[in-house]
Amino acid sequence: MTQHIGGSTATNLTRRGLLTLGGLGLAGVTIGSWPRLTGNDIPGRDAGGLTVAILGNSADAEGRRVLAEDFHREFPEINVHIQAIQGADWKDFFAKILTMVAAGNPPDIVYVATEGAQLFAEKLAEPLDEYIRRDADELREYFDDVHPSLVEAFMYQGSLFQLPIDWNAADMYLNVNTLHAAGLDRPADDWTQDDFTEMLRAMKKSQGAGFTPYYWTNRLFGGIVPWLYNNDTSFLTERKAPGGDWLWDAFYPDDPARSTRGGGFIWDGSNALDESVFESFDYMRELVAEGLGVRPEGGGGTSLVGLFSSGRVGATPAGGYWAQGLHEAGMGSDDFDVQFFPRNRTQRHQFGTAGYAIMRTAQNKDAAWEWVKFTARRESMELAMPAPTTTPTRRSMVNEAFYAETGPKNWPVFYETLDRFPTSGPIPAPPEQAAVENALIKNVTNAVSGSSRQTRSALQSLDSDLNLVLGSS
Amino acid sequence: MSSKMSRRSASGHAGTTPPSRPKPAPRRRTNNLFAWVLLAPTIVGMGIFTIVPIIGSLVLAFFRWDIISRPEFVGLANFADIALDPTVRVSFLNTIVFVIIAVTLQLGIALVLASMIQERLPDWLRVFFRSTFFFPLVLSAASVSIFMGYLFNEQFGVVNWLIGLVGLAPVPWLTTPAGAAAVVIIVYVWQNFGFSFLLFVGGLGNIPKEVYEAAELDGASGIKKFLNVTMPLLSPTTLVASVMAVITALQVFDQPYVLTRGGPGDSTRSAVMVVFESAFEQLEFGRASAIGLVLMLLIMAVTYVQFQLSRRFVFYQ
Repeated sequence: MTQHIGGSTATNLTRRGLLTLGGLGLAGVTIGSWPRLTGNDIPGRDAGGLTVAILGNSADAEGRRVLAEDFHREFPEINVHIQAIQGADWKDFFAKILTMVAAGNPPDIVYVATEGAQLFAEKLAEPLDEYIRRDADELREYFDDVHPSLVEAFMYQGSLFQLPIDWNAADMYLNVNTLHAAGLDRPADDWTQDDFTEMLRAMKKSQGAGFTPYYWTNRLFGGIVPWLYNNDTSFLTERKAPGGDWLWDAFYPDDPARSTRGGGFIWDGSNALDESVFESFDYMRELVAEGLGVRPEGGGGTSLVGLFSSGRVGATPAGGYWAQGLHEAGMGSDDFDVQFFPRNRTQRHQFGTAGYAIMRTAQNKDAAWEWVKFTARRESMELAMPAPTTTPTRRSMVNEAFYAETGPKNWPVFYETLDRFPTSGPIPAPPEQAAVENALIKNVTNAVSGSSRQTRSALQSLDSDLNLVLGSS
Repeated sequence: MSSKMSRRSASGHAGTTPPSRPKPAPRRRTNNLFAWVLLAPTIVGMGIFTIVPIIGSLVLAFFRWDIISRPEFVGLANFADIALDPTVRVSFLNTIVFVIIAVTLQLGIALVLASMIQERLPDWLRVFFRSTFFFPLVLSAASVSIFMGYLFNEQFGVVNWLIGLVGLAPVPWLTTPAGAAAVVIIVYVWQNFGFSFLLFVGGLGNIPKEVYEAAELDGASGIKKFLNVTMPLLSPTTLVASVMAVITALQVFDQPYVLTRGGPGDSTRSAVMVVFESAFEQLEFGRASAIGLVLMLLIMAVTYVQFQLSRRFVFYQ
């Protein structure tokens, strides 16, 4: 095996020896990486207990680990494994959950936002009605603290599928320095769409090139929809399903909007050709044409925090989640502020909420329900949301202390959006949400980028796409 | 090995004893087994990850399936559905136009740059350019597209800032059909031309210098040498580069998905994007399979045509 060549030693490995070594090496690598190859190192797999899937990365999972440990202390017989699933957006997250379902390895509980609430309710999630009736006394304190509009967003065909944990309305963030440079103060609560236009014009006049008065993104939340809602319309027909009285009578008998509550929203047809829809699109088209707003691009607006905090954007719609982001970007609590969305025909706002859904395939639904109840407690929500990275659904948590470090100054706007405008509605998200969102995003940019005629043409295209998706006509 | 076998056989026939039935060669059987062992991982891998999914997809194309419910046999309904769907038609048309423009640019740029660095450049500079031009290919297409999205942002992008320096108005790169298509093509070509470039560098290196010297003696100029010597002798490489470039471009997904999500309108929606959207967003796996199958047939047809055409244009030494 060993021979001396020119004073040095060389090792001649035979082919058989090489193959043996290679085989041993391969076997070693296979054995070493077996947990990875079989997926056994994925938290929660084959480990018993509850698997809870959330949208996020391993750091987000780590953030909820404390919650899981607290839960385990109270329920020692139930192990909870947080499984963070990365995704660009909720749509991406839901697609991955569905793939897990198809692979025969669904989680027991999934954190689902409004965007996927009806998809899960129709196909995957377990209704909570019986559990809520059973534990009504225990839950009364939760419902007393949570606005009924948020709960209604998780009602589907008369049943409740999730307890909302966090939410955000599309309010208007304002860059205070830019506002002052334009000689303006924070607008009044009941400001109008015309006031908004004048504010943008003043901002544009006072700033140099490279400044954008209004920045918006092309997506369901914070895109065109708030402008449709404040014009008392939407791109989908909207009505309420019957039912749900069991919940409203039990927990919200004194709700001023009680008579309007039903068994959940139904969006089952296109409304794209409604004249009010055209009006809203045409207004946005005019903003773009005048240089007051950008043509909206796809994506989640990841660069927006940097642009806003560096004074290159004057106003943008966002929820309470933005307070922490702007704070981390270096903005002081007085550098930005928030106001309700401007009024047009109405001042109805758009909001989105999220909570845990129990999967129909969960082996131990009673244990899953304990987790759902546990995470809806105030102390649990405080653990899950130590900073304003989102808005807690419990009114009692949205307080001075919560925004003390970050601002904005007028933080009560976040929750008052629901109180002042009780007709505010969730993101229009039928079970076909992904396709509906695609149809909307596909046509918005075209609709606001050319002439009024182009706007009408894009809305006809939107109508046609929506009819195809929803099977309506 | 073959020569050894033939010598043995010859000696058997030359002897005085009647020719006996040749014994099977155990050595050959061992070597066959050895070859199969070496090929096994690839065959198993291809079987599991390529052949089975293709068959599965072929079967699925005749079903309606949303992952959650039981698959339902619908015959040719998925194919009829996609034939009538304007989005599918537009996406295939977009893909074909994209392939024509992107592949032409990709091969053209790669050939020009490969020819340039092959001429009169020191070796170290050649290595530098080879690495530089190949580098984008090893980057994640999604990361590159996100980064390029920032560069081409209409309001805040560096590209429009540079355009502004020469007094021109900002270009709505990603928000108009023409601008978005241009950005997708630019990003795709920038990221992919390095592979064709390396093939051309290899091909150019294999052309004997004597042929050029003979051409020079005949009085051929630079452009004539390129057209009459380089191009014909490089034609086998060009065939390989073009076949691979076309197959890759027909499957374009990452760049339009990240940069524009297929918009504005359907202007940058590619065929593979529609497959993805049908399957993972609209939960219509049968329809997605049908579109994928049509795309596979298109790729096979285009590749077949390329090889047929190559009989006329490819010159083998």
